[in-house]
Amino acid sequence: MGLIGDRRIRPKERETTTVFATEPPWLLQLQGFSGNYRGLSSSLKPFSILQEDEFHKLANVTMNHLLEKIEDYGDNVQIDGFDIDYGNEVLTLKLGSLGTYVLNKQTPNRQIWMSSPVSGPSRFDWDREANAWIYRRTEAKLHKLLEEELESLCGEPIQLS
Amino acid sequence: MMLRQAAKKALGLTSRQSTPWSVGISRSYHENVIDHYDNPRNVGSFDKNDPSIGTGLVGAPACGDVMKLQIKVDEKTGQIVDARFKTFGCGSAIASSSVATEWVKGKAMEEVLTIKNTEIAKHLSLPPVKLHCSMLAEDAIKAAVKDYKEKRLKTNGVGESSQA
Repeated sequence: MGLIGDRRIRPKERETTTVFATEPPWLLQLQGFSGNYRGLSSSLKPFSILQEDEFHKLANVTMNHLLEKIEDYGDNVQIDGFDIDYGNEVLTLKLGSLGTYVLNKQTPNRQIWMSSPVSGPSRFDWDREANAWIYRRTEAKLHKLLEEELESLCGEPIQLS
Repeated sequence: MMLRQAAKKALGLTSRQSTPWSVGISRSYHENVIDHYDNPRNVGSFDKNDPSIGTGLVGAPACGDVMKLQIKVDEKTGQIVDARFKTFGCGSAIASSSVATEWVKGKAMEEVLTIKNTEIAKHLSLPPVKLHCSMLAEDAIKAAVKDYKEKRLKTNGVGESSQA
């Protein structure tokens, strides 16, 4: 049969579906986590390569900023079971019976991942042009999405941008 | 000695090496997840080169999750008659892809494209941090269907409309 197990890398696979850890970070980012199809969308702008240390800087600033703003927000809104915690680079926001948000850095992909009780899972890439974290599938911006969701869940507006 | 220990307990000054279970395990896998982990459905592979097979490979080892989902399609009806999966990842990822193979069997390709990660997550009661696994399973289904359609286009040649 001539097969060497499942680890053979075919050119076709490399083009469209396979992302291996041995590939350089820029290729991982180009293919994206969810963008394993060729031609993901015509609106997919070429985004530039994010080096790991740059990613950490940007992501850490974002995570800390969100932590601070949401902490203050929690002091102002009356939500039973409100709790926010940032440990091991994972931000967990509990809103009691309204649900739980989890935000974390996904370093291999240079992404910030979010799990939302409203919109489910999403993955944000840094867009240099827009100066924002953007979820390619929906073009949603992280800060704006959180603002909208938190306002609709808790009833109070919040300014995150 | 015994009195001192009893006194300590009364004052709540028990040793730091108290039994782990007293700390409390706040999360555990839902029984559906454990079921799929212990009895995974449809593990295996089809021949990639078989024209009736569509292969979806998603994820990245660096992230800790890779899923390969394959569908066997009846060329005449466009129905998925069989499915296989192989997943490298956490229990939730394995369960999500196992559920995906169960759900695509016997359905038309267009129908399985409507399977949402939220449904998989709900079925397995996935906690927030594991919702990404269900999304990956949804992506795997879509990738498998896409692969099959592309293969059909190639074999049918350009200019002919594909059946699916």
